[in-house]
Amino acid sequence: MFTVLALALIPATRYYQIDQPLLRLFRGAGAVDPLALHLEGEFVENNLGTEQGSDGSVTVRMIAQQYLFVPHCILVPAGVPVHLRITSADAVHALAFNGTDYNVKVLPGTISEAQLRFANPGEFKTVCREFCGAGHYAMRSALKVVPREQFPVLQAGERGNCAVQ
Amino acid sequence: MRCNRQDGFYGGRFPLLFTTVAMIAGSLMLVASDSLPVRIPSFVSWTPETIAAASAGDAFRGMLLAKRCEHCHGAEGFSDRASTPNLAGMDRLTVYKQLEDFRSHKRMSQTMEPIAESLSSRDLADVVAYYARLPVFADLQDNRSFPQARPDPVHAGAALHLVSFGDGERGIPPCQSCHGPVAYRIGVPPLANQNSDYVLSQLEAFANRTRANDINVPMRTISSLLTEDERHALAEYYGSGLGLQPGSSK
Repeated sequence: MFTVLALALIPATRYYQIDQPLLRLFRGAGAVDPLALHLEGEFVENNLGTEQGSDGSVTVRMIAQQYLFVPHCILVPAGVPVHLRITSADAVHALAFNGTDYNVKVLPGTISEAQLRFANPGEFKTVCREFCGAGHYAMRSALKVVPREQFPVLQAGERGNCAVQ
Repeated sequence: MRCNRQDGFYGGRFPLLFTTVAMIAGSLMLVASDSLPVRIPSFVSWTPETIAAASAGDAFRGMLLAKRCEHCHGAEGFSDRASTPNLAGMDRLTVYKQLEDFRSHKRMSQTMEPIAESLSSRDLADVVAYYARLPVFADLQDNRSFPQARPDPVHAGAALHLVSFGDGERGIPPCQSCHGPVAYRIGVPPLANQNSDYVLSQLEAFANRTRANDINVPMRTISSLLTEDERHALAEYYGSGLGLQPGSSK
């Protein structure tokens, strides 16, 4: 009886603490330390961007932070499956591509995954749809979908993006 | 209920459950197998331990240590040369991170790298505690590098717009949402009393990647999005003291 009560109290008392050890253990593979993204793991800065898979699909890794998406412009080929993996370095964000139905919630401490596919080339505005602080309304970037033959051939370890260098 | 929910729960009350969960989760965990060299911008991570270490400095001891800094950074934290940063009233964690980065050669400077290398972690905390306590308003009798001349009105208008609103079309967040006075992020310098030449040189260094110690690439991204003219306008804006708010603590 006491056990049940105590278990019920966890979400009631600590629900606002998104990054807590027990939840991190439950999350397993989706767990990531928001304070150490730049030190280790798959979100280190030279691993961000579009990675070409062997089966023709691409994987996009991004960080959402106050008040930017990194990389600032994503480049993907049209008509192939896009695996999006994104995490937050601070607050709760939501990544949405204007003109599409995609809207991905981004929480610190977890990796949000989404399977996307863009049939036609084009350019989409990428916006944050979860209020994240003083600069929230300027937190925008771009997604560029290019024809498959125009997508650059990436070397091993190279990640594609179309951010201004 | 008498038990302490804050700390007694995870470890003490259900060790078996905890162990089981740990074993399952551990077996599910994927190790990122990337053979490529990892580019680390800075070894500083804002964990509670780092913040505690950087905030626990002794300002008096820092004052004695800071005698070595006076020659370039000024006796009151306002430097004589506009290319050298003002440190008066600068946030503790900001200066701590920069010194740590100089120490680990993540930020390049022929002057600062050897100086930071000669300091211990405690010295860093003490020095930053001292500079954080200096007043942000320069003594006009002694400090002639700041504030500088007012920028021309066109520049001032453009800079004020970027500082207060950013540019949503290009995805540039407003400067004041991180650099104050509206909000501060951890480890981000308040810019209200910074020298213009220094601000400009750093914006350019971020844009051409000669400075790359910003965690998760925010300033490299933003500086690349700014035009040459806008970088000058922002530097003039901050260097002229327009961002200083009377009564503000930073």
